[in-house]
Amino acid sequence: MFRHLFKLIWNKKKENFLMITEMLVSFLVIFAVLSMTVFYYHNYRQPMGFDYEDVWVVNYSAPQSAQRGDSAMLFRQTIRQMLLSMPQIKKLSFAGSNVPFAMSTSNSNIDYNGKSVLANIYDSEISYASVLNMHLKEGRWFTQADEVSKYPPVVINEMTKEALFGKDQAVGKLIGKDNPLKVVGVVQNLKDKGDYQPVEYGMYKLMDTGSYHHASTILLKVQPGTDAAFEGKIFKQLSNAIGSSIEIEHLDKKLASKNKIFLVPAIIATIVAAFLIINVALGLFGVLWYNINKRRSEIGLRRAVGATGNSVSKQLVGEALMLSTFALIIGSFFAVQFPLLNVFDLPEGVYIIAMVLSILFIYFLVIICALYPGRQAAAIYPATALHED
Amino acid sequence: MIQVQQPTMQTTTAINDKREAMIHLQNVEKVYRTDTIETLALSNINLHIAKGEFLSIMGPSGCGKSTLLNIIGLLDAATKGQVLIDNQDTTHLSDKAMAQFRNKKIGFIFQSYHLINDLAVQDNVELPLLYRSSSAKERRQRSAEALQKVGLSNRMKHFPKQLSGGQKQRVAIARAIVGQPEIILADEPTGNLDSAMGDEIMNILLHLNSTEGTTIIMVTHDEYMAKKTHRLVRLFDGSQVQ
Repeated sequence: MFRHLFKLIWNKKKENFLMITEMLVSFLVIFAVLSMTVFYYHNYRQPMGFDYEDVWVVNYSAPQSAQRGDSAMLFRQTIRQMLLSMPQIKKLSFAGSNVPFAMSTSNSNIDYNGKSVLANIYDSEISYASVLNMHLKEGRWFTQADEVSKYPPVVINEMTKEALFGKDQAVGKLIGKDNPLKVVGVVQNLKDKGDYQPVEYGMYKLMDTGSYHHASTILLKVQPGTDAAFEGKIFKQLSNAIGSSIEIEHLDKKLASKNKIFLVPAIIATIVAAFLIINVALGLFGVLWYNINKRRSEIGLRRAVGATGNSVSKQLVGEALMLSTFALIIGSFFAVQFPLLNVFDLPEGVYIIAMVLSILFIYFLVIICALYPGRQAAAIYPATALHED
Repeated sequence: MIQVQQPTMQTTTAINDKREAMIHLQNVEKVYRTDTIETLALSNINLHIAKGEFLSIMGPSGCGKSTLLNIIGLLDAATKGQVLIDNQDTTHLSDKAMAQFRNKKIGFIFQSYHLINDLAVQDNVELPLLYRSSSAKERRQRSAEALQKVGLSNRMKHFPKQLSGGQKQRVAIARAIVGQPEIILADEPTGNLDSAMGDEIMNILLHLNSTEGTTIIMVTHDEYMAKKTHRLVRLFDGSQVQ
């Protein structure tokens, strides 16, 4: 029967061309949507790598007189003491503007032994890791001793370690060409761009007086349940101390808004894809229905020569599945180019899972669309169908 | 290729007496019902067709010839009465059993051939064998033999559109005989053909009947063709008048 169906479809390839094209386009659209979905789901499943609850972000503009050297250090000490004197604040750290879930990005190439990655560079302090409860995988975080070390110390994330050192030890190695930096620790990857965004290469530098001028953010770890009244209080005190406008945000709210930025277009794309799929399903259904009405005499003949209603139904579903197989073979050829050519820089596994899911989805769609026309075909009365011509 | 043979006429009584019954219709009635109308297509048909008999059915259009043929071929069900084929009561067969019965026992020939235009001649002939457990090799072999019997060995790879009416009907005959059925039901097999082609088709049917003992029931409008068969049954307004 398989060969018979193949011949039937092959001999009608011109008539089937449009239907195959429709299935092919559907496959490619679904493949694109599912590639994105699988990619974002994969990202969502990754651990965050830090705690963002009860962490507030204070953005400020340091006065001109307190941007460099000792005056900058003094300014920071004053602010630090003032904030830590409040019992609601457990810990704090000054940081660069690219704190988690911020729109700001700072990156640079990191080289080691001929390998190079473009990594996010985070200006941090000794207390930075504990404010965010980051998880150390190797070595240690910064200590006071690092402030006077020969080579500027850095902590890299696991992804950077993997790319530059593979399975080798990273701690103690010097990275960078002109100004070597010493790796003192490796932290778990931080998913600091949002729940659905991929982890990126990252390197944490210990701020010195030379980099204070572009570190105008404070991360505050507050007691659980700290309320808006306290937020108002520190807003007032900081405004008085700094003398310029400040902005206080909560990391959990920043994450929600970051996720929203991603989710809104993703939902719109999914709705558009869903409408497309409904259209395709209706199209398939219509074509199969039309085919059955066009082939009533053939169906009648098959019943006459020994086909049961069930086998007629199965044959029509089988034909639709075979047509979709042709479309899927062509579609898979195009889809497989994405991992091979590394288009969009997504992991190979994402494309492969998306391909498998798209194939299953198309088969499912075709079966659903073919079942009812198939059942209608099975119900065709052979005596009537054979006398219509 | 089948050689042309002159048929021999026999009487119904003689055949029925000598041979066992292949088809037996008892008080068969067929009524078509719609919401408002009831149409009596067949009324009180009693017919005994012997094994190896060649029977023709004649009558004006709409008298129930094709309906009778459909009921015998299990393509339609009688409203009342009993249809026994090869001593088996077919009245209450399931869809699957009926399909198997048609596949093994009955071959159909239609006026409009009903060939599948998208399949080559040999694939068309193979069709009944697809619904039984035969290998591809066996199907090829048997369809080639059937086509040889109707003189179309040289047209196996052709498509129906490339054939004349007579050739198409010969393909339909090959399809009908490929499964070696005991009964062939032919619904106006020469209706679309000129007289020469019609004779050719008729001779093939007569040959099948005489050499292979196939029971053939043929609906026809052609008195000349009907006279070549063993027995003629006439219908009028759904009733048997001869």
